[in-house]
Amino acid sequence: MKRFEWTAPTSVAEAVELLRSAPSFADPDEAPRPFAGGQDLLTTMKEYILRPSRLVNLKAIRGLDRIQGDGKRGLRLGALVTLARIEENPIIKRDFPALSDAARSVASPQIRHLGTIGGNLCQRPRCWYYRLEEVVCLKKGGTQCYAASGENKYNAILGGGPSYIVHPSDLAPVLVALGASVAIAGPEGERVVPLEKFFTLPSEGSIRRENILRHDEIITEIQVPASRFAARSIYLKFKERASFDFALASVAAALELDRDRTVRQARLVLGGVAPIPWRVPKAEALLVGKRIAPDLLNQVAEAALEGARPLAHNGYKVPLTQALIRRALTQLAARA
Amino acid sequence: MIQQQPAKKKRKVLVPRVENGIERMVEIEVEDEGGPSWGPNNAHKLLNHHLVRVDGPVKVTGIAAYTYDRHLPGMLYGRILRSPHAHARVVRVDTSQAQRMPGVRAIVNLAERGNYVVRFMGDPVAAVAATTPEIAEDAIRAIKVEYEELPHVVRADEAIKPDAPKVFPEGNLEEKERRGDLAKVEAELARCDVIVEAEYRTPTHHHACLETHGHVVDYRGGDRAVIYASTQGTFTILSDAAKELGLPQSAVVSIVEHMGGGFGSKFGIGIEGKLACQLAKQARAPVKLMLTRKDEFLLAGNGPGSWQRFKAGATRDGTLVALRATQYQMGGLGDGSLAGQPYIYTARHFYRERIAVHTHEDAARAMRAPGHPQASFAIESLMDELAYKLGMDPLEFRKKNLRDPVYHRQLDRGAREIGWQRRPKEPGTGRGMGCAVGTWGGGGAPQCKVTVQIARDGTVGVAVGTQDIGTGTRTFTRAIVAEELGLNIRDVVERIGDSRLGAANASGGSTTAASLAPAVKDAAYNARMQMAQVIAPLLGAKPEELQFADGKVSSGGKSLTWRQACAALPLAGITAQGEWKANLAASGVHGVCFAEVEVDMETGHVRPIKMVHVQDVGLPLNRLAIESQLIGGMIQSLSMALLEGRVMDARLGVQLNPHFGDYKLAGTFEIPEMIPIIDDEDPRQAVIGVGEPAHIPGGSAIANAVFNACGVRVRELPITPDKILQGLAEQRRRA
Amino acid sequence: MTDRRRGEKTDAVDPGRRRFLKGVGLAGASAAIIDLIEPEMARAETPKDSVQPSPDGTLEITLLVNGQRRTARVEPRTTLLTALREYLDPPVTGPKLVCDMGTCGACTVLLDDAPAYACLVLAVDAIGKKITTAEGLGTPDRMNPVQRAFVEKDALMCGFCTPGFVTAISALLRKNPRPTLEEIREACQGNFCRCGTYPRVFEAALMASAASDRAEE
Repeated sequence: MKRFEWTAPTSVAEAVELLRSAPSFADPDEAPRPFAGGQDLLTTMKEYILRPSRLVNLKAIRGLDRIQGDGKRGLRLGALVTLARIEENPIIKRDFPALSDAARSVASPQIRHLGTIGGNLCQRPRCWYYRLEEVVCLKKGGTQCYAASGENKYNAILGGGPSYIVHPSDLAPVLVALGASVAIAGPEGERVVPLEKFFTLPSEGSIRRENILRHDEIITEIQVPASRFAARSIYLKFKERASFDFALASVAAALELDRDRTVRQARLVLGGVAPIPWRVPKAEALLVGKRIAPDLLNQVAEAALEGARPLAHNGYKVPLTQALIRRALTQLAARA
Repeated sequence: MIQQQPAKKKRKVLVPRVENGIERMVEIEVEDEGGPSWGPNNAHKLLNHHLVRVDGPVKVTGIAAYTYDRHLPGMLYGRILRSPHAHARVVRVDTSQAQRMPGVRAIVNLAERGNYVVRFMGDPVAAVAATTPEIAEDAIRAIKVEYEELPHVVRADEAIKPDAPKVFPEGNLEEKERRGDLAKVEAELARCDVIVEAEYRTPTHHHACLETHGHVVDYRGGDRAVIYASTQGTFTILSDAAKELGLPQSAVVSIVEHMGGGFGSKFGIGIEGKLACQLAKQARAPVKLMLTRKDEFLLAGNGPGSWQRFKAGATRDGTLVALRATQYQMGGLGDGSLAGQPYIYTARHFYRERIAVHTHEDAARAMRAPGHPQASFAIESLMDELAYKLGMDPLEFRKKNLRDPVYHRQLDRGAREIGWQRRPKEPGTGRGMGCAVGTWGGGGAPQCKVTVQIARDGTVGVAVGTQDIGTGTRTFTRAIVAEELGLNIRDVVERIGDSRLGAANASGGSTTAASLAPAVKDAAYNARMQMAQVIAPLLGAKPEELQFADGKVSSGGKSLTWRQACAALPLAGITAQGEWKANLAASGVHGVCFAEVEVDMETGHVRPIKMVHVQDVGLPLNRLAIESQLIGGMIQSLSMALLEGRVMDARLGVQLNPHFGDYKLAGTFEIPEMIPIIDDEDPRQAVIGVGEPAHIPGGSAIANAVFNACGVRVRELPITPDKILQGLAEQRRRA
Repeated sequence: MTDRRRGEKTDAVDPGRRRFLKGVGLAGASAAIIDLIEPEMARAETPKDSVQPSPDGTLEITLLVNGQRRTARVEPRTTLLTALREYLDPPVTGPKLVCDMGTCGACTVLLDDAPAYACLVLAVDAIGKKITTAEGLGTPDRMNPVQRAFVEKDALMCGFCTPGFVTAISALLRKNPRPTLEEIREACQGNFCRCGTYPRVFEAALMASAASDRAEE
């Protein structure tokens, strides 16, 4: 790890100022970083992927670790709420089960105890070219995405180009499915951004980042609105290794069913297959007004992966994701 | 020691020798004299029982001192600067900035003499020692190296092409063996009822020892040094350490008190040890140089990959008639290893050519049963393919082509245990079973010199320089002495892992127990004989009439407690030496594994359900530790079957997964029900090592179970969901 | 610290939320340095002067390790693991450095009674937290039930992963004294063993669970 300055502000404003006023940096990977659980950030620093000159510890700021609300009022999660607390919270389990599922699916108890929801959303890609100091890839200021024509079994089948990373967060697909927003504090004050607009494709935003957060901004809160489908939600994650692994593919799904079990509203978001949580509106629309049945599931799964453009070694992600979609929806429909 | 010696006879015994990771059996002549014998396997008081590991309490409470845990006053921290390129000439190394950094105390530039070529990603270029780990890390980054990149090749498929970049001036291919009559084999193949042509691949594996390679060199100038080493051979590091430090070998001591795993990768001092010595010599201060995990993946050796092509044929009655094999062993800069085909099976006619393919990757090392798991995966997959093609039960087909009745016995036992009769006859149900067979030497050699001391206060010590790499050496060493003297295991204290304590062999080829246990037994036996001489008169008996049992020395109706007896010893107590005795060790084991798995036909996920391993072991010194070893071997082979493999980028020449998150070991959710079975029908009353055989057939059994479950034959390890899904998609296309 | 299930009424939706330890840290360090406070205020408030490094970039920190206050001069980038193993004198070497990336579990310690990877915690960020390692759970003469069961069931071979497993399972049993096999797998899915001791580890965890039941009766 490169040397850095350790700062511990006690207010959001002070934290923002410490991020803004840090020594100038030539490369975005040398920008100052907010520090919460550090469970991903420290790994990138140990491999010299990120080389911040200053860390701004957020844990001395009051009020950033609150869990408030419920299914009726909507949920507000401070950015510093740990994954372990989300996983164990009985109200989240009852009113936002997919969020519970997703938190529980992350890494290991050790990581979940310290890792925060804010950090989970901002974690960096797992692509092994990106994670290897010796390779200067497109995302590190180089000229090539080596995964595009290299060893890409874990890379994107949707939304890729010019970089083919996949977003590694388990909570992000769920939060996008539930229509969540993030509150962001910066030098100009606070803004609230729908999570769907927070993440950026390599072809849209900066290739060096995965979201719109600027280096002098921090996430302060995640807001999940009350909805008619949150209570019937699920997150299914498929890992190559059943123990402690990232998703090869995952599905966040939520349904609102009528009394006669026809779908009134549907949300379907894919994880592990695209550079951002990948919402599939066309597949969602196919579900509306119908009852869950095998034929429909096949159509929905087909539609969801319609735009998939697999690379040389990741074509398997198409049938895999389709299977997860069918299972997620079947399980949701089977719930009382 | 006064003892009636019978006339000395000579007899010949076979002992294994490991050279370059390949084990061969060598015939040696030994004296056949009376003396200790183990007696019937079912008549032991301690041995052949479940003995709790004696070093357990210090390990579970975190106070066991591993090399990595050593902390010496004034100690510096060493780090290695590695090449980021697979092949390059070092043009310039500028250490001036690092020299000036506060806290940097020594720098070694390996390219100092010029014309230095790095030949794999991770090849060391320089090393530093500094006062803190952080400063050492900064210092290697402050060294500026200019490289001239040269063409590289890191894939066997590329390396075998005539126009591939050359790894060695002589080329990339090296023929290791050519055997059999090719024309005859081709002719016989033409007469077979069924033929299978297939090729199988296994990737480079990593030993992944949890304690990385490394040393703490305690040298502060002067004429002596102590080297704390994480090694499988206490005595394998002395000569190189002495050479690097410029000391006589006898002035250097090596210590291996506890050791965090080796699996074949930790023999000799290695480049990291040489650098640690050079840094210590330069700084005249102790240096701790433990590899980082990334270093460990990149430069501490690996288990070689393999690529094997077959054409094999059988007749309708299930006889393996002819087999032709081209076997590539992929050891990077090294030779690698690969057991010759058809491995344990009998083929009436076979032809094989075995070729080392070199690439720009660090040299492979011995890895738990070198060359066997790779050979096993290929031949066992092939045997399965032939059996299915013949419509024969794969178990019956194997037995038909295995002559040794021990295999038949063990296969029957394993089949009963896993419930082979429940196996689906047609693949594709989502659940299936497979089996496989292995073999290993595991004998001993006359290298250990053991001392047993009995003090007047009744305490007993046993000392030898050997190391316990986690296999339970400490425990059986104590148990043998305790049993011989009629004591409890807690009454004996062992001292090991110190080169001052008497010669011992390195732990390779499953030879530790078979080399050490006889010498311990001999020393304990000699101690007992000496003690008998002293005590017999006190009991009015002849020395050979004394019984040592239950903490007493007795004869007829009279007895002394152990402490009473020891009080009668001379002031200096008793010191007895022991050496290896051929009659106390044996070699040559079998071993079979059965696996049951479930395959998710939509996601390609493989869930192991049950594994059974049946193993002959001669005299089981400690059933608990042996069963743990069998379990451990099954888990490692499961892990390699389903998860592990080095991934190289061909274009960049770099390893993409040199971290534990990306090089995946099996974890808690991968573990099925595991049944380790010691084959007690083995009549041999002699010690044989079992570390390696437990690791051979497991992966093959899993691979065959996967096919039985889903009908997809994955011919390249690891068997990951992507390959299964691809196979299922091909199946559907064909249907 | 077994208060996490007591359910202090501090937040409408989070009855199970654990209370935090407030560390006064270096500057105000006095004998009684731990104080339970309400979560909203529960920042491990590192006093400002503690983060002012000396000119060489180092700073002096005090850690509460196995019930003892231990002081060391570290850098901000020094991990808790390195601080324990290389900066404290005598060192605390139960937690092992194996992957250094939070992927293997050998460095597992308890931070305020919950398992954490010491390689992914900065030493400065551990000020004021209660740090427990395998050494703090028992000694060879007085092993805790998990340690005793590990020895009894042969749940170790080379032993390098063992303190991490012992720590993770001890944490599990405090929280959940009667875990199922699945819960045991889950609790140590972030711990890896190369020798292959997992089945023995499971047996040991179940044995320790039964033993603690007996102790409570």
